[in-house]
Amino acid sequence: MSLRDHFDAVTADTDRADGLAVDRDKAIAIAVFLIPGLTLFTIFSVAPIVYSAIGSFYSWDTFTMEHFVGFDNWIRSLTDPLIVNWSNMREFQYPMGALTHNLLWVVLHVPASTFLGLALALLFADLKGRRILRSMVFAGFTVPPIVIGLVLMFVYDPQAGIFNEFLRVIGQGHLVRNWTQSPQVAIYALIAGGIWVHTGFSMLLYSSALSAIDPSLIESAKVDGANAWRRFWDIIWPLVKPVTAVVVIMGIIWVMRMFDIVYAAGGAAGGPNHAYSVLGIEVYRAAFRPQIDYGMAMVVALLQLFIVAPLALYIARMR
Amino acid sequence: MTDDDPLNPTGIDAGADTVNDHDRTRYLRTEEIPETAPEADLDWQTRLNETIPTSKRALTYLVAIAVAVLWIVPFIGLFMASFRPLSEIIGGWWHVEGMTFTLENYYQAWDYSTAPMGRALRNTFIVTIPAVLIVMLLGVMAAYPFARFEFPLKTTLFFLILLVMAAPPELVAMGNYNALHEFGLFDTYMGLILIHIGWGLGWVVLFLRNYLLGIPEELEEAARIDGASRYQIFRTIILPLSTPALVSVAVIQFTWVWNAFFFPLVFMRSPELYLAPQVLPLMTGRVQVEWGMIAAGSIMTMAVPVILFLLLERYYKRGMVAAVAD
Repeated sequence: MSLRDHFDAVTADTDRADGLAVDRDKAIAIAVFLIPGLTLFTIFSVAPIVYSAIGSFYSWDTFTMEHFVGFDNWIRSLTDPLIVNWSNMREFQYPMGALTHNLLWVVLHVPASTFLGLALALLFADLKGRRILRSMVFAGFTVPPIVIGLVLMFVYDPQAGIFNEFLRVIGQGHLVRNWTQSPQVAIYALIAGGIWVHTGFSMLLYSSALSAIDPSLIESAKVDGANAWRRFWDIIWPLVKPVTAVVVIMGIIWVMRMFDIVYAAGGAAGGPNHAYSVLGIEVYRAAFRPQIDYGMAMVVALLQLFIVAPLALYIARMR
Repeated sequence: MTDDDPLNPTGIDAGADTVNDHDRTRYLRTEEIPETAPEADLDWQTRLNETIPTSKRALTYLVAIAVAVLWIVPFIGLFMASFRPLSEIIGGWWHVEGMTFTLENYYQAWDYSTAPMGRALRNTFIVTIPAVLIVMLLGVMAAYPFARFEFPLKTTLFFLILLVMAAPPELVAMGNYNALHEFGLFDTYMGLILIHIGWGLGWVVLFLRNYLLGIPEELEEAARIDGASRYQIFRTIILPLSTPALVSVAVIQFTWVWNAFFFPLVFMRSPELYLAPQVLPLMTGRVQVEWGMIAAGSIMTMAVPVILFLLLERYYKRGMVAAVAD
């Protein structure tokens, strides 16, 4: 009989009694670790979301919940011209409604920043000093977005703005204007600014995917006589494709949350006559600016969540 | 080599190198050592040609540097404008001849009448530092059971965390506004700190959980056999081993809380409590935009996160990539 068997024989009958004690110890430990964090998380993140979901079906006297009204808030908000302005959309006149503006951001900003991010990641991939180059492009993403909004106003200013100076230099002086305050073009000016900031983030994700590629793969393709175009499509693209999904979805989330940049350029109204208002701005106005309409604020904020939530869950499932 | 991949600094390259090094550094026996020093295999002409990049490569460098510089032109403009009088800014900050250097804009922003930047920056520190430290502690505590143990409602909690991460900050503003009024914490540092903690915990827990999954469990089992309690294991094994991830969390959370504009806008209403990002849009006056003062205020506000990013760049980038891509 070995020592091992001795031990087993001794511990065998104590195991069952100990098992319960261990389980209790473990349960207490889990609770001690989890409860402080989960309490704050529940009170300040989960509960307010539930509150909004319930509140969107009630009528409100400023900040006090009154009685159940069914889909009233939903119908009122979704037909509000500030959210979707059908008649202006038909004439392609801004404002077209915050939801439309948000979707326009998605359609223009996301492909552009994804494509530029990949292009810059490839351009910097094997250069000396790539860390500095990448940091220069990425730096804008660490700057407070409210500063980005003010910088955009500065860049597009008719006298002090370098963009208008650039137009003058290339002989397009007739186009000079205060870009962020001209209703029909301002949204494009802001989207260009959004692309400028967000490309750094896309580039960062692509760069880390690119550096995971085995360089010998590319070397051997070179030896086999594959040109740059073939090397990209046959080797690099299949390997960075999964990252593209993440880049695109993070782009959509970032754009759907847009608030600071628009607020800096256009104030709580989202530009002259709401010309480039977004959903976040409409929530803020409905909830905290006079004519307070809590019900509408909750509906619009939930709308933002509904657009983004399936995408976030998709990322989670990819893991 | 190490400057490249933020996730996996020692790549396949490093592996191949070690093998070569091993071969190369094999010692020669005395009789094998030649009398004369080895001559260069290549004459200097060829070597020079190899060192100087080809014209195609030089062009790539040129384009890359041009793009990177172009990318920061708006920030260069902001920086220049912050040191120049308004008249010169209106004329265009890119005219450098006859430039006047002044700190007037900084003094003006520092003592801005509605909400002086000096006070606003102090307020931002008061809110940001506790919000970051507490999130780190509570986050790693909550992440530990998520990584190691099974417990009821685990999947549900996971789903809730993901849902909150997808939610826009506007969605929690209404509920928190009423809750803070209820608690008597509206328009206080404490209220805003708590909201930032509750909001940040979701991603911090998820991020740290992913990191803890990568720490081998054998270490903890060994400690358990030595009779360490779960709390001792947490303090002596888990915390020290997760330091790199905690630094990433600290840098990213600091940047987010510092840069946050929407939460302060909603929850800080008295001008004495305004945070720095909140003050900046107030500076755009009605008649003439005070570009110099705005630029100076913006530079002071952005300096903190940007310097932090430059100092801890590796942790920041690694965290950013891991947070979304893992």
